[in-house]
Amino acid sequence: MSNIVLEAENLCKFWGGLKALDEFSIKFYDKQIHSIVGPNGAGKSTLLNLLSGAYQATHGVIIYNGKPITSAKSYEFCRSGIGRSFQKTNIFHTQTCLENCCIAAQQQIGGSFKFFQNRNQNKFIIKAALSALEKVGLTERAKTKASQISYGEQRQLEIAMVLATNPKVILLDEPMAGMGHEESQTIVKLLMTLKSQYCIVLVEHDMEAVFELSDLMTVMVDGQHLITDSVDNIRSNPLVQDAYLGNDDEVF
Amino acid sequence: MSIFTNKSEKLFIFFFFAIGLVIPLFLADNVFYINKISSMIIIAIFVMSLDYLVGRSGLITLGHAMFYGIGGYIFTIIAPEYETVNFWIYTFYVMSISAFVALIVGFIVLRTSGIYMIMITLALSQMCFYYFADSVDYGGFDGLFIYIKPETSIFGFNFLDLNNESHFYYLCLLSLFNCFVFFKVLMKSSFGRVIDALKENPERATALGYNIFHFRLIAYVIASSLAAYAGYLFALQYGFVNPSMMSWEVSATALVMALLGGLGSIYGAILGAFAYEGLHYVLEHVTQYWMFFMGCLIILMVLTLKNGLSGLLSNLVGDKENE
Amino acid sequence: MDTYFFLVQLLNGVQYGLLLFLIASGLTLIFGVMGILNLAHGSMYMIGAYLAYYFTALTDSFAIAVIISSLIALVIGLLIERFLISHLYKRDHLDQVLLTVGLIFIFNAVQSFVWGNDPLGVEVPSALSGSIQLTELLEYSDYRLFISLICICVAVAMYYIINRTKLGMLIRAGESDRAMVENLGVDISKLFTIVFAIGVVLAALAGIISAPIVSLVPGMGEHVLISCFVVVVIGGLGSIKGAFVAALLVGIVDTFASVLIPEISSMSIYLLMSLILLIKPQGLFKS
Repeated sequence: MSNIVLEAENLCKFWGGLKALDEFSIKFYDKQIHSIVGPNGAGKSTLLNLLSGAYQATHGVIIYNGKPITSAKSYEFCRSGIGRSFQKTNIFHTQTCLENCCIAAQQQIGGSFKFFQNRNQNKFIIKAALSALEKVGLTERAKTKASQISYGEQRQLEIAMVLATNPKVILLDEPMAGMGHEESQTIVKLLMTLKSQYCIVLVEHDMEAVFELSDLMTVMVDGQHLITDSVDNIRSNPLVQDAYLGNDDEVF
Repeated sequence: MSIFTNKSEKLFIFFFFAIGLVIPLFLADNVFYINKISSMIIIAIFVMSLDYLVGRSGLITLGHAMFYGIGGYIFTIIAPEYETVNFWIYTFYVMSISAFVALIVGFIVLRTSGIYMIMITLALSQMCFYYFADSVDYGGFDGLFIYIKPETSIFGFNFLDLNNESHFYYLCLLSLFNCFVFFKVLMKSSFGRVIDALKENPERATALGYNIFHFRLIAYVIASSLAAYAGYLFALQYGFVNPSMMSWEVSATALVMALLGGLGSIYGAILGAFAYEGLHYVLEHVTQYWMFFMGCLIILMVLTLKNGLSGLLSNLVGDKENE
Repeated sequence: MDTYFFLVQLLNGVQYGLLLFLIASGLTLIFGVMGILNLAHGSMYMIGAYLAYYFTALTDSFAIAVIISSLIALVIGLLIERFLISHLYKRDHLDQVLLTVGLIFIFNAVQSFVWGNDPLGVEVPSALSGSIQLTELLEYSDYRLFISLICICVAVAMYYIINRTKLGMLIRAGESDRAMVENLGVDISKLFTIVFAIGVVLAALAGIISAPIVSLVPGMGEHVLISCFVVVVIGGLGSIKGAFVAALLVGIVDTFASVLIPEISSMSIYLLMSLILLIKPQGLFKS
């Protein structure tokens, strides 16, 4: 097994009396895709929001590269190398695709406090942004406005922006949400190639894709950890079938 | 690389400053009109700084006049009463002190956003208004007077006499031009990239690792100190300052001008300020109830013009896409 | 400071606070349900006061003036919402703010055209012109008590309407989830019209009943508007309960500050607001 990069211990998030996440512990390894599945309301998005610093945990710890970062500010998570994508496409619609990635890259490369230097003068930023676009296959769209590309492409751009921040860990919140089969396959292929470089945490409802991609899977129910195991073991686990796959009418 | 965003902007700036440069020659014996235009230019600087804050940074304030007033008061308070001081040195003083004030005020108001921020900026500027209106030291409602205007020498070379209306006019025009160029350069810079990003989608900007508070604070300080500079020019032009400079009507009117010109376009601030002030001047002469017609025009404009006058101009010139 | 003097000041503070609540509740109601910041709210207060002056002089009866003025305010509110604001729901907040600034201009011009710029006054209705003797030297005016009573009645009525009636249910739903209300098949535009009109009437009513104890001057609306902002910010935007608590707080602080520390009295409520915001940036009762 490779190194543990990101880890959560007894993580809790309460909204008033509602326990969105309850005593949740999990470990994520480098260069693996770790999927998190569960029915709606199981707390998957809450977990992702905690891991990316968008929410503050009620209690519990998040450990990144051996150091606790639970109390860090939300913007510090990205700086330290934890990037995230959003379930609902969350890009800068009025800017070009390249500019979207430049915004992402600039934080890591620097220059945000240069008031008089033209933003396109920093070649490192442009280079990083272009390489991120290339990784997701959007190179031809570089000069197109983000509002004018297709929905599938916007989802790709969403991932490109995460890549442009030069992350170690990538948290993906339903990257295939609302996509057709063909578009999903593009993302599946993309994630396969990204696996060799990043620790990827994937929350996804497309079970076909999840089983195809994952090295490890975690099943969540009602804000609690049910099981973490390899794909094959999960598939055959009676507990999972019973509690989750079997007697739930919901189609994923 | 050009600082212009589109053709209409380029055209407008070219014509505006070309006409601006020669107009005193035609008005040589009419001091009243030169003064009037100078005051409109000063207002345009003020509105431009507000436009940067509201239109570019997405920070809506109804208390911007506070800094306009503070700019004037700082000069009047710190400059010795019966001594000639240097304009440029005091520009530096005025802007740095008001930047410091803006830093503290920004620290409070930027903890909030949206409608909340509108109300808090409004209340803080009212507080400042009452502070000066009630203070015995600063002349209460009557304010303070400036008896001697500063001189403008740089390294012993003096080319502007502020007691001369035309000279003062050129100083204002130069300031407006510098202000415009400054904001355009700022918009195109790496800093401007972050400001654009956090205006459009602050949540995503945070997720990308930006501490949006820092950037907002800087934008706030920059805009506020330029507003203070405009207030400083106002004080020099009229030779006095009083609390009404920072009344909420001044803030609201400036916001109306920025919207009239087209929010976020920067050059629209000039359009808005001149259109509003021009209209005001004309209506005021026609009827004492000019406010009624002004109100109707504002409402009509809100209902019909989406991007203000600069949007209208852009359509006329036929810009492909307004940024 | 002796106890009776303190008591009178407290009564004054509460009365002022209740009046502020009457205006601020309309402002916060409109904002909470419709998401619109109505800067012309203070103008409605002013118009209410001037209407009360006009009809009192015309009919010689303050009671009739109250009724007619309120009805006129209701009509004004309905017209503004139907013909102007309803066009701007899909637009930016700033456009709405700008529209209401335009309204302020118009109302101010109308006020100065119809009633001129000299201060005016309304006589306290004779039935309420007496006062209650607290001690030999201190008395408290009946009319001020009457104002407080009206405000309390309105507060109770609002509490009842919002918590017990169908309209109130829609208002509460509209505050938390507008899309939900629309999906329930409720005509949201009708709800907005009603809410806006109610808000306007509340502001005007405050102006009407305070006409006999204030002097009617141009710009009186703006002054009140700013105080209301302070109330609404302290109470928490959109929260009527917050507006109630904050209005009393502001009323009392303002009254006592003008007696105890006159040097900074006009700043006192802004200082109070800044302090509260430093501790609770969202106000006391975040809705």
